Amino acid sequence: MGSVEIKNLTKKFGETLALKNVNINIEEGEFFALLGPSGCGKTTTMRCIAGFEDPTDGEIILGDQVVNDIPANMRNCGMVFQSYALFPHLNVFDNVAYSLNIKDLKEGGFLNKGKVYGRMLSNKLFSYPNHIKDKVNEILEYVELDHLSQRMIGELSGGQQQRVALARSLVMEPSILLMDEPLSNLDQKLRHTMRNTIRRIQQDLGITTIFVTHDQEEAMSMADRIAVMDQGEVMQVGTPTDLYSNPSTPFIADFVGTSNLLKGKAESINNEMFVNVDGNQLKSTYSNSTGEVDVVIRPEHLTIINDEKDAGSFDNVIEGEVLFSTYLGSIVRYDVKAGNENYLVDTTYNSGDSIYQPGTTLKLTVEPERVLIL
Amino acid sequence: MRGIIEKFNGMKVIKWMIYAFFVLFLLLPLFSVFLVSFTGQPINLLGSLVNVDTLLSTMDKLKNANLDYYADMVARSGYLGALINSLQLSLFVSLIVILVCIPIAYGIARTKMPFKRTISALCIIPLIIPTFISAYAFIIMFGRAGWVTYIYQGLGGQDMLIDPYSMTGIVLVQVFFFFPYALWPMVAAFKVSDVSLEEASLNLGSKKYFTFLFITLPLALPGIISSALLIFTVSFSDFGTPIILAPKDLSLIVVEAYREIAGFFNWAGAAILTVVMVLVAAFFFWLQNLFVKGKNYGSVSGKPKAQKLSDNKKVNTVLSVYSLFIVSVPLLAMITVFLQSLATTWGLGPLPDGYTLENYTDVFSTSFDNIRNSIILAAGALVLSVVIATFISYFVVRENSSKLDFITTMPLVVPGIALGIALIQTFNTAPLQLTGTALILIVAYTIRRIPYMIRSTTSTMRMIKADIEEAAVNLGASRFTAAITIIGPLLMPGIAAGSILVFVTVIKETSISILMAPAEWAPMSLAIFQNILRGEYYTAAAMSVILVVIVLVLQSLANLISRKQSQ
Repeated sequence: MGSVEIKNLTKKFGETLALKNVNINIEEGEFFALLGPSGCGKTTTMRCIAGFEDPTDGEIILGDQVVNDIPANMRNCGMVFQSYALFPHLNVFDNVAYSLNIKDLKEGGFLNKGKVYGRMLSNKLFSYPNHIKDKVNEILEYVELDHLSQRMIGELSGGQQQRVALARSLVMEPSILLMDEPLSNLDQKLRHTMRNTIRRIQQDLGITTIFVTHDQEEAMSMADRIAVMDQGEVMQVGTPTDLYSNPSTPFIADFVGTSNLLKGKAESINNEMFVNVDGNQLKSTYSNSTGEVDVVIRPEHLTIINDEKDAGSFDNVIEGEVLFSTYLGSIVRYDVKAGNENYLVDTTYNSGDSIYQPGTTLKLTVEPERVLIL
Repeated sequence: MRGIIEKFNGMKVIKWMIYAFFVLFLLLPLFSVFLVSFTGQPINLLGSLVNVDTLLSTMDKLKNANLDYYADMVARSGYLGALINSLQLSLFVSLIVILVCIPIAYGIARTKMPFKRTISALCIIPLIIPTFISAYAFIIMFGRAGWVTYIYQGLGGQDMLIDPYSMTGIVLVQVFFFFPYALWPMVAAFKVSDVSLEEASLNLGSKKYFTFLFITLPLALPGIISSALLIFTVSFSDFGTPIILAPKDLSLIVVEAYREIAGFFNWAGAAILTVVMVLVAAFFFWLQNLFVKGKNYGSVSGKPKAQKLSDNKKVNTVLSVYSLFIVSVPLLAMITVFLQSLATTWGLGPLPDGYTLENYTDVFSTSFDNIRNSIILAAGALVLSVVIATFISYFVVRENSSKLDFITTMPLVVPGIALGIALIQTFNTAPLQLTGTALILIVAYTIRRIPYMIRSTTSTMRMIKADIEEAAVNLGASRFTAAITIIGPLLMPGIAAGSILVFVTVIKETSISILMAPAEWAPMSLAIFQNILRGEYYTAAAMSVILVVIVLVLQSLANLISRKQSQ
């Protein structure tokens, strides 16, 4: 029921191609992130799933049903909007009860319809039936907002609004949950708490969840799997560790985590791969291609050789000069210039350690299995 | 998918109906009048669509279309003179208004002049009084038996201080009752220039008056010119003042057009004057828009900057006294009307000879129907504009329908008397013979005042983000249910504020009422007008007071609502 399959999805807005042949499979109960810079098509993909955009081409399959022709209000995918889109003229309770009212509207006769419209326009006119009251109170308790049920939306903090939006979507028991940049309107500290709250609720309910974000840290820390998108195309789908250690393109290497993106010339010597980066011959265990290649080295995989005498024992040695250092608390990040290339080098910092001054000449090393050739 | 198509079509049908409404009651009448100005005979375009004979005769008339009537107009000094007089009037009024407003606007925008709030509050009075009542108030102030004349003669003056029945009289009424239209844009214009610039000028050694002339004024100039153009259009289109005050030997285009149609049924003349009026008004409206769209106002729309206000005591006192004088004239005019309404008789003297409520009981016994008519007609126009404006704002905001936006602002350009003539011409024969019915009156009021309603609902609609509607749909609601339960309640404040504005302006409406209202549907404005023409000044005054009270009550209600909305 809760699986999502996106097949050859293409979307054009007039002449501009917003999505190019997107294929994604999401399994039931998965927490899936669509990650990419703004304008990459991640929100359009989500809006196609919700039914707010009609695909130009391709299919969207929820469970085992093609939903292309099902209108947005019949798809039963809960969506948490970036702006939350809470109804400002209703209180918390009425906001959460909205979808239950709509369900009630579809049942019963004319009299019932009038009653439901009546209470949607003014909650003082007609009271809610018990089955709605209980359900709303239960979900409000679950997101710890039961004490605020009579508040107007404008009287809530950002985090509380976020939880109302979540409760409003969850109460309709959606087959999948869509979240559009759910944390972007919150301050740094609240963001971390909400990350955990959302993750906990998702695990708890086992609901298939797709969320859109441009923040790689957010995607990495929350999602089971991530699809990285750029310019309307899916670049790579994988688990966070996959993406970090085996990026398929320099774009992903750069977008997911921090990297040193270098240009090099790869060649095979005696069945071993070597890549020449601006004069430095680096040994690598990757052997996909030779000739002009992109080389990726993560900053934390570069180590400073403290003792000159040890230098001979390493496979790869890069000599360079410290341009400046940035103290980040538990780590110190150096900008090291070697030839025409700049390297970021992260070293753990223990109190009492001295920090290399700009101008100092250093020798760096990196394990052959950490030299990625793309 | 079928559901989507059905709803989509539903909305499409409504959109086409709105287009049809404006085509039928605005574009077609204006186009007909345009044709009539060449043929010299009434043309029945609607009839030509359903009846072959009518079509043939229309074709015939069109074949004989020529420029004779235009040539005639230029040759007959009457029309050309009327146009020149009208342009002259508008030019005088706009120039004088600007000169009158510069010190007040400067005082409000840039100084700590005393009584600033009182002055601002009193500026509302001219806006709520229909111009023909202001014109009439000037007669009972400055006329032969007016109290101003009494004081003037007491001080040794001969005859009258100003003859209200003259160009001067018309100019003065328009200046004193239109200046608030220019004042607020000019206040905004003066806020554009920065105090630091003036201080820089002083620091460089220039004198204060020099700084004002060469720094402050030029910076405010775009705003001032735009205000002048606005006043020009308002003055040019105004019917209430000239119809009361214009002497026989002073012909003005609005009065001339009214006489041609209401007095002589001269279609050729009325049509040409209508075309000229619309073209002139449209040209100045376009010119004004050009100025507003330009580079001025740039810093007004942004965050309010902290303004350092001048506290030069001497200058501020002078400004304050001057401003109070200007704003007190409309107030005195209103007080005069009020006293007249309570007077038994009022000859040449500072105060009425005696007081009575008889004028009011008279009004209620004889003219109760007019009050009722006004309310029914205004309510009809209100309902029609609420429905149409709500949909228009939806189309304009959600579907970016710029064509609809353009058509619905067109009525702002068409002078009331021109719209009236165009509608009468088009709808006085079969197949749609509506002239003389309450329906066409309501339609005319609606067309004329709907831009206010649209402005109000559209700005509220813009505040309702699209994703709120999407959220409702996502939660299972159909577009229709979402519209009723979410968009409707959120749009309410805009509808309420716009409604009152429409209601108020329809009750005030002069030109359409005088031109188009049949006897059995005569609204208050027409009754007051006829009373003034018949010389029944005391009942006219009583009814004017009732009208102003209705307007005042509704207006303050509107202010209350819009203040609540903005909170």
